[in-house]
Order: sequence, then structure tokens, then C-alpha cells
Amino acid sequence: MAFTNRLRGFIAIGLLPALTVYLVFVIIPIVWSAYYGFFDWKGIGAASFLGFDNYAEALQDPVFWRALKNNMIIVVASILGQLPIALLLSMILRKSTRFHRFVRSAVFMPMVVSTVVIGLIWGYIYHPQIGILNVLLESMGLGSWIRDWLGDPGINMYSVSAPVIWANIGPYLIIFLSAIQNIPSEIEEAAKIDGAVKGKWLYLIVIPMIWDTIKVAIVLCISGSLKAFDLIFVMTGGGPAQSTELLATYMYNNTFEIFRYGYGSAVSTLIIIISMILVLGSQLLMRKRGME
Amino acid sequence: MKTIATGSLTERPAERQARTLKFSGAWILNPVLLIYALLTLYPLLWLFISSFKSNQDFFGSPFALPSEWQFSNYTRAWEIGGIGSAFLNSVIVSVCSLALTLFLGTLTAFIVSRLQFRLKGVVMMLFVLGMLIPIHSTLVPLFILMKNIGILDTYASLILPYTAFELPVAIFVVAAYLTAFPKELEEAAMIDGNGYWGIFFRIIVPLAVPAMATVSILGFLRFWNDFAFALVFINDQALKTLPLSLSLFSDGYGTDYSLTMAAMSIAVIPTIIIYLLFQNSIMKGMVAGAVKG
Repeated sequence: MAFTNRLRGFIAIGLLPALTVYLVFVIIPIVWSAYYGFFDWKGIGAASFLGFDNYAEALQDPVFWRALKNNMIIVVASILGQLPIALLLSMILRKSTRFHRFVRSAVFMPMVVSTVVIGLIWGYIYHPQIGILNVLLESMGLGSWIRDWLGDPGINMYSVSAPVIWANIGPYLIIFLSAIQNIPSEIEEAAKIDGAVKGKWLYLIVIPMIWDTIKVAIVLCISGSLKAFDLIFVMTGGGPAQSTELLATYMYNNTFEIFRYGYGSAVSTLIIIISMILVLGSQLLMRKRGME
Repeated sequence: MKTIATGSLTERPAERQARTLKFSGAWILNPVLLIYALLTLYPLLWLFISSFKSNQDFFGSPFALPSEWQFSNYTRAWEIGGIGSAFLNSVIVSVCSLALTLFLGTLTAFIVSRLQFRLKGVVMMLFVLGMLIPIHSTLVPLFILMKNIGILDTYASLILPYTAFELPVAIFVVAAYLTAFPKELEEAAMIDGNGYWGIFFRIIVPLAVPAMATVSILGFLRFWNDFAFALVFINDQALKTLPLSLSLFSDGYGTDYSLTMAAMSIAVIPTIIIYLLFQNSIMKGMVAGAVKG
């Protein structure tokens, strides 16, 4: 029938440009990255086949594992820092008064600011000589607390976690707010009449009722930690002495600083595999817990 | 909630207790909330205040207001710092990416949400997959790919990947919106003598405007603020976007803090204006995009 042929023609022509752009710039790079990972290649000249050597080298490199550990620190800091604050705020900020909307807007504001700017601002806050954090501590008589927040390997992962937490509470607040609004109001009324105090109400009713939303938030925290690249790249570049290296900065430094394209590709592939394992693993764990 | 707030003589003891609890709670809570909000905003306020200071002022009294407001920091950053050209590059790249994302995304959303075909499931699955991929893991292969096809260090090296990575969100937002309309829409338009392209341009696009607006705001913020792609794919000084110039600028002009602060403010002000204008749709859209991602 001419009609269906016209429909088919339209669908084919209509989908072609979007699919082409998408396949070429999103899907094919992933497949290629796994393939390039098998080669020793400096970006110019011939590439020599290595088999799994790049992958094995990455897995044996202590810096790779430190980077993975640092990524996990960001995950834990996000889950323990962002989610409880967002949950508490969402309980308090349910009404749509002008004041509550102002607080919500303020909490969300860092989300629209470039991570480069956030990284630079926090770089000034933490600066060992001119940083306003140290100036503030000094003026409060806490001079003994003064330190090189980004330079001291013992604490700098925690220092860089603070802006990650600060900048990303907003979306979780809004997610939790909309989940709480979906709890039937009768349940809240019943709890009030039974004399449930706020804390109990949160623990016994809100958390179980929005558990699915919390699970989504945890998955977002995990995948978000892999995106912390920009912020930490601007603040420390992974240093000093690779103490704040993340998987993504490790990949970047190996590829674009010392031009090991094959190795960088192998690390990219490992990042995809690790993020899939983390997301699927966390889903499975929480599903099990939910059934018990 | 409202009945409790207004109060009545017949309220039960538990209700009265709840009311006093809430009343006394607000006294403590609101100041705490206010302090929390101000602490959250402080780094940004500090940035704007510092951008009007002289360098001595910046070092001497980091917390105070400027002793003299140096508006010239902005003109100096714009001219000497090359922030003007970076601003222009950011506008070009963001606008082109946005136009391409809107056209391709809306067209694809129309096809997958309102037309029937065999491979629909496969196409949808492909686009869902894209939202699970950590963007940074594609930097190396994309760099090699663009080097091979010769578009590295051009506007296209940003516009095409930005569009590609924004397409899944655009498609899902617009498709979700379009499914709400009655099925007979296309048939009626067909009887009026429209072909499929006619239906798309004359009926679907005007209908989808609200969804496209959400996609535009989110896309703009993402394109305007992107750092990783610009860092890897752009090397030419003349093509650098704002976030990229800022990161290098702060190295090169490391000691001229007032200049750096003014440059950062120039980068941030457009997004804050857009945020203040479209707050609600940004919040909702970002969450929708994030949840699906």
C-alpha cells in the first residue's frame, strides 16, 4: 500500500539524522574504546596489539585502585552528606510559603553554576595562604586548625567532597519533596492523631513510604560520583602526588598528559564496566533488603 | 494542615499538642533554615562581592564589602582577559547545539511516540542506554574519532557530541508530553491533506512547544557549563568556551584575582538570570532528566 510505504519512508528519513549523530558520538566510541584498549598507541604512528596487557596493567596499578577508592569516598560522602540533608529539608520545606520557596531556590542555586566556577571558588576558600577558610579560622582563634586543605593528602579527599556535597543537594531535595507529596494525607493525619512526633514520623512512615525514591537517589549518587571529574580536576588536577586522583582524572592524565591512548581507552572501558557493576550491584542489594 | 493552623475550640488534645509543637518548632527552624540558605548562597555572594574589589582589597579584607566598587574589573576581564570572545563562542556553541537537539529530538520523539513501526523497541532501548553511560569514559575514543574525521578544534567538535548526549533526555521529555494527545490527531490532519512532514511542522511542533521549552533550558545550562568536552576537544585559543577559558585564565592571571573574579561572574550571571526566570521548570526538568538518567 502506498500509504504504509509513505509512512515507512518518513520514519526511516526522520530517524536517520538523530540515530546517526547518536550512534557516531555515543555508542560507537564505547565499542571503539574497548577495542583501542587492546593496543599500545601513542596517538601517532603504528599501533601494536597487546591483548589484555593494558587492562591487566591498570588492574595492577596501585594508583588505579587509589583512584577507585577516591571515587568511593565521593560516593559515600554524597550518600551520607546529600541524602540526609535533602531528606530533612524536604520534611521541613513542604509548604509553599515565600520563605520556604526562597530556601529551596537557594539550595538549588549551585546546580546552575558551572562546575569550573564552583571549583575555582572553593579553590579560593581552601587556599593555604589567602583562603577565606583559614582567614576565618584565624580570626575565630582557631589558628591550630589552619592547614593546607587541598595539599595535605590525609584530608584533601574530604576537602574536595565538601563542594561536591554542597553543589548537589538541590535535585535530591526536589526528588524527595515530590515523593513526600505523594504520600496520602490520611496517613499523615492518622499519624498525628496517634501522636507520632516528627522524628518518629520520619523514621516509621516517610522513609519506608518513599524507599523506592531513596533507592533511585542512591543510584544517582553512585553515577554522580563518576561525574565529579570537572570539580576535582579544577581544584587539584588529581594531585598532589595523585592523592586526589579519580578514575576519570587518571584516565585523562594517562591519555592527554603522557599520550598513552591505548591505555587511556582501556581505563575508559573499565570505568564503564565499574559504573555498571556499581549501579546494578546496588540495585540488587537494595532489592534483597526490601524483600526480607 | 490548614484546619490545625486556624485552630478551633473543638480540637482534640493531640491536635493542640501538634499545633504548639509546630508553632514552637518554627521559631527554631526558620532561623536555622535561613542560616543554612545563606551559607549555601555565600560562596556565590562572595564571588560577586569580590569581583568588584581591587586586588589589595581582596587580600586585605576578604569578607568586607569593596572599599571602592571597581566596575572596571568587568571591562578589563572582557577585553584583556579575552572573556568577550569566550562568551561569544559559548553563545555560538550553545545556540547551535540547542537548535540541533530541538529539531532532531522533537522529530524522533514524534516518530517513537505517535507512529507504529517494528524496530521501535530497539530504537527506544538504544536511547535509554545512552543515559547510563558515564560521559567522561567517551572522551578518549571521541577524541580519536574526531581527530580521524578532521573536526577536532572546530565548533562541530563540541556541537555534535553535545547534541548526541542531550538527545536521550530531549526525546524522553518531548515523547512523554506528546503521548498525552488523542490518537486521532494525525488522521484528522491527514484528511486535511497534510503529509507526515506537514503534520510534524504544522501540528506536532506547535503542540510540543512547552516540552521543547523545558528541553531548551536544561540543554542550555548543560552546554553553557560543560568543561570536559571543551577541555579535550578544543585547543585553539580563539575557539575556547567560557568554562575552558576560565580554568586557563585563572592560571595565566593567577595573581590578578579581581580580574579572575569578574571573569567568573560574567560566566555565571546568564545562568543565574535564566534560573531566576525559569526556576520551576528547571527544578522539575532537571529532576526528570536525572531520574531517567
